[in-house]
Amino acid sequence: MTLVRPGKEQPPDTVQFRIPLEMTKCDVKNYLEKIYNVPVGPVRTRIQYGTNKKRNHLNQRVKRPDYKVAYVQLAQQQTFLFPNVFPKKDVAHEPGSMDEIQDKFLEDERQRQKPDPRRGGITDWFGF
Amino acid sequence: MSFINMAATSAGRVAVLCRNFQKGLTLCNTTCSNQNNFFHRTQLRFFHPRVSASNFFPSLVEQCRALHSSHSRRGLEEFFDDPKNWGEQHVKSGAPWSAKQLRTKSNEDLHKLWYVLLKENNMLLTLEQESKRQAVPMPSPERLKKVERSMKRLDSVVNERTEALRLLQTGVKNERPGEWRRNCLGQAIWYKFKEHPIPWYMNRRYKKKQFFALPFVNFFTQLNLEKHLRIRNRKRRAEKEEKLKLQKFSKATA
Repeated sequence: MTLVRPGKEQPPDTVQFRIPLEMTKCDVKNYLEKIYNVPVGPVRTRIQYGTNKKRNHLNQRVKRPDYKVAYVQLAQQQTFLFPNVFPKKDVAHEPGSMDEIQDKFLEDERQRQKPDPRRGGITDWFGF
Repeated sequence: MSFINMAATSAGRVAVLCRNFQKGLTLCNTTCSNQNNFFHRTQLRFFHPRVSASNFFPSLVEQCRALHSSHSRRGLEEFFDDPKNWGEQHVKSGAPWSAKQLRTKSNEDLHKLWYVLLKENNMLLTLEQESKRQAVPMPSPERLKKVERSMKRLDSVVNERTEALRLLQTGVKNERPGEWRRNCLGQAIWYKFKEHPIPWYMNRRYKKKQFFALPFVNFFTQLNLEKHLRIRNRKRRAEKEEKLKLQKFSKATA
């Protein structure tokens, strides 16, 4: 069972899951209540068809697997907001390490790409 | 171990992968049992025939309930990793559980470990999907393989135990009855019995099936045998050559 970020905007009490095709609404409800101790209200499911249209380098059709999506509403007026699991962190690398050398190199490259500050923001194709 | 629900703690999450934390679990167990003994002793000391202990001191069951600090009420947070690990490039994880280690554990422990592994698996799958969505590399994807292997080994250990128990109790090796039969191609197959509402001699579709091979099939069984022998000999020769090669190079270096 995978908790996914909803593609379309969902009400605040709705959580979206990807579940195996063989699972039913009752199964989802019992699963969440017993294993995760989450109060569950109504559950709605649908089956998402995975495309068989894409072709690989041998021109064979490659099937993307089908999966079932469950929209679970939480009981007891609870809300759920999908968190940002990849926040940007300022990492200070230790001096002399490979990562620090790489970062310095990228910083130098970026500096080289910037235009001459003495020109006052004018583009290159004006004469002189 | 039985009265503490280790399934949902952070200690449980670490126990998923790191076998070194088995010691941590046993320590926690011993400390809790010590506290239990302490309460028991105090109860006995202050017990008076006239006054019932339950008025002054809660019963042992209620004390045990008070000690249930490890029961987590986190709910949907368990689909995500520790917030400290969000945004990291690499997340440290220990070795997967081996079958040898799992065989030393009791059935209750294995039952709890299964659910710990299941929750860990769900968490990793959500992380994988989110990383695909955000077009960001998933931190330490080898964790998925480790969890999958641990679960497979746990399943095999549990199956071994059930098979042994079944052999001792009934003398039958497999759950579903079956037998070795020769199909129409001359191959020996394990035929699994199905449940039918009517006997086999009244089953028309079953009677059409041939569980014998006619004489013209013998030629093809011979060919199959030759193919099997060829593969087997090829494998053996390859192993021998590999061994000789290793010996030759070890002699050269030595």
